[in-house]
Amino acid sequence: MTLLSVQSISVSIGTLCPLESITFDIGKGEILGLVGESGSGKSLTAMCVMGLLPRIGGTVTKGSIVFDGRELIGLPEIELRRLRGKRIALISQNPMTSLDPIIRIGNQVDQVSILHLGLSAEAARARSLDLIAQLRIPEPAAIHRAYPHQLSGGMKQRIVIAMALAADPDLIVADEPTTALDVTIQAQIIQIMVELVRDRGLALMLITHDMGVVAQACDRVVVLYAGRVAEMNVIGEIFAQPKHPYTRELIRCIPRLGQERGSLKGIPGAVPSIVDYPDGCRFNPRCGDAQELCRNQVPALERKSSGLAACHFSEV
Amino acid sequence: MDASVTRGDDLVTITDLTREFSSGGGFMKPRRTMRAVNNVSLNVPRGKVTGVVGESGCGKSTLARLVLRLLEATEGTVVFDGKDLAKQSQGEMRKLRRRMQMVFQDPYSAIDPRYTIRRALLEPFQVQGEAKTAADAKTTVDELISMVGLSPRMMASFPHQLSGGQKQRVGIARALALRPSFLVLDEPTASLDVSIQAQIIDLLETLKAELGLTYLFISHDLSLVRYFCDRVVVMYLGRVMEILPGAQARPRHHYAHALLESNFEPDPTRRKVVTMLGGEIPSPFATIPGCAFAARCSAASDLCKRERPPLADLGSGHMIACHNPMD
Repeated sequence: MTLLSVQSISVSIGTLCPLESITFDIGKGEILGLVGESGSGKSLTAMCVMGLLPRIGGTVTKGSIVFDGRELIGLPEIELRRLRGKRIALISQNPMTSLDPIIRIGNQVDQVSILHLGLSAEAARARSLDLIAQLRIPEPAAIHRAYPHQLSGGMKQRIVIAMALAADPDLIVADEPTTALDVTIQAQIIQIMVELVRDRGLALMLITHDMGVVAQACDRVVVLYAGRVAEMNVIGEIFAQPKHPYTRELIRCIPRLGQERGSLKGIPGAVPSIVDYPDGCRFNPRCGDAQELCRNQVPALERKSSGLAACHFSEV
Repeated sequence: MDASVTRGDDLVTITDLTREFSSGGGFMKPRRTMRAVNNVSLNVPRGKVTGVVGESGCGKSTLARLVLRLLEATEGTVVFDGKDLAKQSQGEMRKLRRRMQMVFQDPYSAIDPRYTIRRALLEPFQVQGEAKTAADAKTTVDELISMVGLSPRMMASFPHQLSGGQKQRVGIARALALRPSFLVLDEPTASLDVSIQAQIIDLLETLKAELGLTYLFISHDLSLVRYFCDRVVVMYLGRVMEILPGAQARPRHHYAHALLESNFEPDPTRRKVVTMLGGEIPSPFATIPGCAFAARCSAASDLCKRERPPLADLGSGHMIACHNPMD
């Protein structure tokens, strides 16, 4: 069952058009990975889904976002506020942007269920303690009393996840939730997050630049490049048989265990700047298979043998 | 000279190196001391890539600075090609610096934003008091720029006009300007996208082969270190936990193993069940009598908490500091 459906969304900020025709959907209980390098439009897509674009001066110029049967584009702010935090929760990259430094951790987690579920202060506290324990934080009661600065980065991010779960949302949007953390902590947080999301049958939109994290956690993947969707497919196919040359090259950029020295080459060139996007396929200047057609005509996102890809020459 | 200190074919030999930092010590505040690098011994073989890997706060960047004497050691010695760095005068050190250079994580802060790329590349010669004629300067800059795969058109650009990958190429070109034999690479790709990271690693490999360089490569990314390095040094809380003799060697230290297990492969058919490490990285100010990892280690015994395990040789260059190594 589709929970969130994003249909050909285009976004403009001033005279720039950072997102063009973004299309994807998330089913109930599904973990969808949104991958891309810097400037691909991952975080902007998250803001779009959260209805936060106006805050940064952006507008949706085209397309629709349907969440659980309801159109979000054009929804009044007061309605959006009821959805945000309650049915769609956000986990951001830096936990300090989600936590107030002068309020005790516990009060901040309690607030969510008081506000959205209408719980009493006592019930909210019990619920928070339970959630904190579920995130495998030792001594929940002590943490409940602590201030954010007293916790490590990994602990703070767990608290932010607890806050996201507090109102029993249907969809969690996690924007690079582990990028700022050390690898051992990242591994643990991804594991806990995936377990909790699966147990509760929640949908998770996991934004990351790390193909390792995607391979570990996601059911399906959307690959973004320079503000457009390059490819969308189920996880196995993305890695076994990528349909877009960019996906293929991106996977090749990560050294594997036992990979021979000298075989890692990278993708020539750099991600184009938004003020200087090339005509046609935006990947064409870096693509080894680019032809005249790729330089002139924008490839449509089309159905391939499996999944969708925007490439003139992907045969499979 | 103290040339006898150098063992075999090591370009750099580090012995019992320690660096302390202290904080506090104000009114009514006790002074606290932490050991960022705690009794580290290792050698950097000539012509090889030695990798140092660890999480934040493990002392890898402090180690990088100590090796080039950009920071003074509290205790211990760094011997570069037979010369004890701590014993060199400032003038001698400047001469030595022609042979040892550093590439920094953030290329933007490593280059003066008001300098053109051309001027930034000529700066090392100025510092060394080496005047160049206009023609000479042009040849040098042309050479450096093409060596790192940049276009000569970029010579007149300012750093802010370049992408992250291009800036890092300038950082590398500048480090190579004086033809050093030894480069310390401190997370040179950490701020770059993966497609650019792979380009830079490829460039570093080519340059190493062409110029016969020796690298000390500092990183938090174990899969990258295992790909790029001939030897891997795993650090935790200022100490060396394990030295792996080759990229394929299996870690036997519990921390090195946990680090490897935390690394997700880009392969959905090889998903991992992550074992949860108990606890947190201890505060660097804490004095730990035993093994630094003991508080989080599943195999820790009383001995581990009491006594620091020495770095022991398991044969063929595999070193480990653990009382109960894994099988």
